[in-house]
Amino acid sequence: MRRGIILTLPRYDVVTEYLSVFSQEIEIEAEKKGIFLKPLKEEKVNREEFEKVINKLGCNFIVFNGHGSGDSLKGDKDKVLVKLGENDSILKNRLVYARSCEAASILGRESVKNSNGCFIGYNLPFEFYFDPEWSGNPIKDNFARPFLESSNLVPISLIKGNSALEAHERARKQMLKNIKKIIRSKTQEAFSIAESLWNNYLGQVILGNQEATL
Amino acid sequence: MTEKTSFKEIIVNEEMKELVIARINAQVPSNLKLAVGGYGTMNKEEMVKHVGKGDEIGKQIVKKHILFLRSLASGEFTRAIASVE
Repeated sequence: MRRGIILTLPRYDVVTEYLSVFSQEIEIEAEKKGIFLKPLKEEKVNREEFEKVINKLGCNFIVFNGHGSGDSLKGDKDKVLVKLGENDSILKNRLVYARSCEAASILGRESVKNSNGCFIGYNLPFEFYFDPEWSGNPIKDNFARPFLESSNLVPISLIKGNSALEAHERARKQMLKNIKKIIRSKTQEAFSIAESLWNNYLGQVILGNQEATL
Repeated sequence: MTEKTSFKEIIVNEEMKELVIARINAQVPSNLKLAVGGYGTMNKEEMVKHVGKGDEIGKQIVKKHILFLRSLASGEFTRAIASVE
């Protein structure tokens, strides 16, 4: 297995558009640190292509963006990329960060059994607020930023050389900092945003080898 | 008790739905939308409808609010926030 990252970037609805656009920060950090990163974009985020790329490149870190369920991770247009009992062995002995709903609850737990790998993901639905006025240019959406920037810290911390546990904790700590800042702003939306950040804070879990590094 | 178990253990009732609808009406600005993973995106009015109907996403929204309120009541939220600068 080689040191490197596979980053899935589906982009077919508002949610995946936001996840993909904010993932540029992950790509920039990898480039800065000279770490190989293979982005898998839009319609190429399908199971056949994904398996082909993983088998060919053998990267030890996979970052999933997109929808998910308890036992699956999805790609372009909700097509299943990884499913428990079908091709979940692909996750074994790897570092995985899944910015997808609930995939940690079953798939994540199973993937780290008899494995030296680590799975960081969510066992609750990952959520964020956004301003539809900025949906054409998500990176400028300051309502979505506290959600996506803090979750970006998982892969960014790993790229910077931290352990999986440190990356997990840094991201969660940033969520708390963002909650604190938002509550202090005393705006009408402050509590709604804080509540959703708290949901992601509670939902983010680390499973398996917490000492794993990229 | 794990966090996931806590979320699952919340059984949504009418009183909770009323409380959550009142909170959404008071707190969520009309110009924002909430994206909830695979459930898609929704504005304030749609959130209220889902909660009122008690469909799957509506239940998720109610559980999230209740979990937050329980975290506030138990002091977990305050302790966590106080732990960061």
